[in-house]
Amino acid sequence: MRKNWMAGAIAAAVAVSMTMGTVSMADERTTFTVGFDAEYPPYGYMDDDGEYTGFDLELAQAVCDLEGWELIKTPIDWDSKDLELESGSIDCIWSGFTINGREDDYTWSYPYVDNSQVIVVAEDSGITCLDDLAGKIVGVQAASAALELLSEDGDQADLAATFGTLQEFADYNTAFVELQAGSIDAVAMDIGVAQYQIKEKEGYIILDEELNSEQYGVGFRLDDEELRDTVNEALLALVEDGTVAELAEKYELSDMVCLGEGILEEAETETEAVTE
Amino acid sequence: MLSQLSNGMLRSMGIFALTLIFSLPLGLLISFGRMSKNSLLRTITKIYISVMRGTPLMLQLLVVYFGPYYLFGMKIGGSYRFTAIIIGFSLNYAAYFAEIYRAGIESMPVGQYEAAQVLGYGKIQCFFRIIFPQVIKRILPSVTNEVITLVKDTSLSFSLAYAEMFTIAKQIAASQTTFMPFVVAAVFYYVFNLVVAVVMEQIEKRLNYYQ
Repeated sequence: MRKNWMAGAIAAAVAVSMTMGTVSMADERTTFTVGFDAEYPPYGYMDDDGEYTGFDLELAQAVCDLEGWELIKTPIDWDSKDLELESGSIDCIWSGFTINGREDDYTWSYPYVDNSQVIVVAEDSGITCLDDLAGKIVGVQAASAALELLSEDGDQADLAATFGTLQEFADYNTAFVELQAGSIDAVAMDIGVAQYQIKEKEGYIILDEELNSEQYGVGFRLDDEELRDTVNEALLALVEDGTVAELAEKYELSDMVCLGEGILEEAETETEAVTE
Repeated sequence: MLSQLSNGMLRSMGIFALTLIFSLPLGLLISFGRMSKNSLLRTITKIYISVMRGTPLMLQLLVVYFGPYYLFGMKIGGSYRFTAIIIGFSLNYAAYFAEIYRAGIESMPVGQYEAAQVLGYGKIQCFFRIIFPQVIKRILPSVTNEVITLVKDTSLSFSLAYAEMFTIAKQIAASQTTFMPFVVAAVFYYVFNLVVAVVMEQIEKRLNYYQ
């Protein structure tokens, strides 16, 4: 009997929290929960005051201001991002999230950053091109776009086959510490993050040869096109009023931000066509 | 950095305290089930303990949090995240505590029960007034072990994206690209555990009333 009572109590507790969770999921959207990797500067990270910030989060905030939503920033474990999204505990993944190779897995917003995957090595390592990586230990973040490229059926599988070892890390900071300590020879990562890291630490270079070029987007659930469309509209509005350019400059990403390129002109020609 | 880590420490301590509040009594109930004369109840609790001890806590946390969605299609999120952490931790630690209680209870000589019966104590009275106080005394060192492990295990709640101290340390380390936050985190954990150990030692001394 005692056990039954306990089970009942737990079930009740679960049920109560569940209903509390569902209330906010009502038809009229009031909140916008963004899942992000909080160890991914400059896109999402913790600033000196302990607040989560970054290019992606500020852009998300601007979208929320426009739509009148409350932004809920939820740092997630990158390995569990699909669980978090699918289960509805976050509304989207907005975290320097690579579209390429994942086209069919999410409902994507407009691409907003042109990114490339690069290799970072120590300046004095003697590694100057991708071929020099033969037999070396290369670090990469688990569940990342770089790992996808280098895995068996990825676009750079042949290159990866020449590596001594492909070592997976939970976050880039650990990988970088290992690079400094000399226990790995190179790290494969997104160029934006790489630039942030080598700005902070001296003695590292990015190889000129890139692994690929790709684009970042905001990933929504496959059946959530409505929300995606709303966010897309808001993003275009933010391009027009200059917010995007301002943020890009603030985070030194001006060369990479591509939001609105092509899309705006397209939209304009469309409207022109209609008015004619 | 220190203020953010202290903030995280408070969150870790919240998990710690709530887990103890729920898992210590739950553990006792489970140990009763484990020692029950009813073989069905005994088997169920045995399986429970076996599963809880035999699978990683991180996995259990994921199951508790995401399980309701994948099993019943319920929408999760918001406040359930913290609730799930407390449920996960409590269920797991209760299994360990149950075995510690059982060790303590089974170590009590039968003569004590017999003497209590002769003196006219009822079963429940006998357990709570005679047996249990002695059990607590005996199991304190093992409980201290578990409690200290719990302090460090709170860092596992990151698998549910709850920003406790270690998570925050990792995030600061990433944005400032230094190793310093980890050193500070280590000091925080150590000091907290030192306090736990000292408090437990004091309780042990208090209970040492026969010497």
